[in-house]
Amino acid sequence: MKRSIPLAIVITLGFLFVGYVFIPHKISTDFYEWYMEWIKAMSPFGVVLGIMSIVMTHSARIQHKVPNWQYSIVTLIAMFFTAYAGFAWGTQEGTPFMWLFKNVQMPMGATMFALLAFYIASASYKAFRARSAEATVLLLAAIIVMLGQVPVGVSMFGEGINDITHWILNVPNLASKRGIALGVGLGMVATSLRILLGIERTYLGGGE
Amino acid sequence: MNIFERLQMLDRRWIFLVVAVAIIVPLIIPFNSKTYTTEPTEKLYRIIDSFAPGPDEKPIEKDRALLLVFTHDASTMPELFPMEIAILRHCFARNIKVFTLTFLPSAAPIMDYAINTVKEEFPHVKSGEHYVNFGYKIGALMLPIILGMGEDISEAVDIDAEGRKLSSLPIMKNIKNYNEMNLIMDFSGSSAGGAWIVYARSKFGANVGAGVTAVMAADEYPYLQTGQLTGMLAGLKGAAEYEKLVEVFALKKREFSRELLKDPEYDNAITNPDIPYKFKQARIGMNAQSVAHIMIIVFILIGNIGYFITKYKEKQQG
Amino acid sequence: MFEMISNWVAAFLTLCIFSFLYKDNPFYKFAEYLFIGVTAGYTIPLTWEMAFIPYVYRPLFLQHKFILLIPAFIGILYIFTFNRKLNWLSRYPIAFGMGMVGMGVPLSMHASVLVQMRGAMIPIENINALLVFIGTITILLYFYFSKAHTGAYGKIVKVGIWYMMIGFGASFGYTVMARISLLIGRVQFLVADVLHIIK
Repeated sequence: MKRSIPLAIVITLGFLFVGYVFIPHKISTDFYEWYMEWIKAMSPFGVVLGIMSIVMTHSARIQHKVPNWQYSIVTLIAMFFTAYAGFAWGTQEGTPFMWLFKNVQMPMGATMFALLAFYIASASYKAFRARSAEATVLLLAAIIVMLGQVPVGVSMFGEGINDITHWILNVPNLASKRGIALGVGLGMVATSLRILLGIERTYLGGGE
Repeated sequence: MNIFERLQMLDRRWIFLVVAVAIIVPLIIPFNSKTYTTEPTEKLYRIIDSFAPGPDEKPIEKDRALLLVFTHDASTMPELFPMEIAILRHCFARNIKVFTLTFLPSAAPIMDYAINTVKEEFPHVKSGEHYVNFGYKIGALMLPIILGMGEDISEAVDIDAEGRKLSSLPIMKNIKNYNEMNLIMDFSGSSAGGAWIVYARSKFGANVGAGVTAVMAADEYPYLQTGQLTGMLAGLKGAAEYEKLVEVFALKKREFSRELLKDPEYDNAITNPDIPYKFKQARIGMNAQSVAHIMIIVFILIGNIGYFITKYKEKQQG
Repeated sequence: MFEMISNWVAAFLTLCIFSFLYKDNPFYKFAEYLFIGVTAGYTIPLTWEMAFIPYVYRPLFLQHKFILLIPAFIGILYIFTFNRKLNWLSRYPIAFGMGMVGMGVPLSMHASVLVQMRGAMIPIENINALLVFIGTITILLYFYFSKAHTGAYGKIVKVGIWYMMIGFGASFGYTVMARISLLIGRVQFLVADVLHIIK
């Protein structure tokens, strides 16, 4: 019972949506509008889940004094203070809330990913080896594409490098990505069908 | 032990130092370099430019509009933000109706920032007349809004970022659904056009363009060939290309022509003090990109030479 | 002055993150945990303002659409995810959202499979179209694991592998570009916005 009612909801709504795609009738658009209004009213509560998860994880770390637990205090204070700033002074441009986002969240988020530039450089020096014919082809294609992207590539090898890059991207690369995309696409359709027909149920979680 | 073998043992922090120098030096010593434009960028430029009102047409009457969807946070901003700036500059310079929207809370300030950055240079541009920021809509509403806009944009989006009813804004005149808002540009670091291709294009035939980080660019070629993606801006290079196209054609109100692009006159932007930094940021970045790519290629070559020498020696020793 | 202080705060935090390149250290850890906290805190007021007020509070209390109490109640059931005994209740909002998958079946089939197949079946008018066709077919054959990759079949799928290697190479080249671009963005911030070395 605890699983079958939610499952019945998914299957019923699922087939109504299949109908919505194919049948441009007033009944199907009415259904769609009803669904939209309801899903909107449910949407804010999903965020509560994420916040609860963070609070629970970090309070547990503090409570059990796991190594580096002090930093969890930083997370919790930062979270509550940012949220407080948003409620107390608003979320518009020029408020402390936006200041925190622009000068604390944004620079750190961007820098985390910028670190990867160093690691890819180090990997290209220490790990990218032409160990086999296939690996050599991969490296050659990579080097040509890298040269084809930057102005200095043309200065060194002439405009031909642009043409070769264009060809690699539009012919062998296109074929390879299409083969993979078709596989992924069929997989997606199969998974959706499994959910729709009630075969795939892992999203409902464990238990009875 | 020869030099190549010794280089193999190098602490990676020395490599990090070389990377830092290779990026910093070309950025603080500016020099001009040529920007070559590619077809996916040119296609986007041309379709966006076709949304501009004619010389005898009132911009507010125009029945074409562009939607920019910001599907990224600050982490991919260095690649995507210059694209957004360049396209907004194009729209504001040519009075093209433009909307902005995001389903990510962390993209909302980036959207404001992009609009304000470009608006400074175009004092005539007004919210509600030349552009509307639809604002941040919660992620769960992505599909309902994408599908809803196929029927009626004002109804699906309802209120803009400033809390105004969309249907009351002058810009919405002659704009009803995807028939008019004919191009959606999705800027993303993870799903080039994703849901827009599946829902807005498949069901309503809307044109979808993508501004993607370079990581994803190679994967998008099958979608470009089928026309599911009308065009694409790929990474910092795509942004640099668009910056150039806007300067050569849109600002001078000229028709696109490949011949004109070859003129070296248009490749001195980096050292031209009249062009604000924010409008050539991608092209300046491409100078550092040039040096960095050569550096990486040299790294790969040195690494491989060392590898083959070691392998050869091992073989000889049996 | 205010902008300068703001930029210096951002620059300090940027350098805290970069310090990880030398080795893991308290500055990096502090920045990392601060980042998680601010990011999470940021979503709370925005969800309140952009979702709760317009889609729950306003329709319920101003427009008196009391029927919406039902979906709001279903939404609240999300929080039982963390309760071992009652977590089955959280299946209701999940199931409600999952219903949309019905639309995904025909539309993903169209966008990801049918249009791509149509794209692969264009008239072979030139050598490039032929090469794309051969590549697509041999890669699809490579992913067909019900037949052993030996003999003539093995040679055919080998062609597919070569195509994929070129494809991966192109992706790798682009990935290098992307990673470097992100670093360029941060360096541009430090040298242009903070130190004003370039204008």
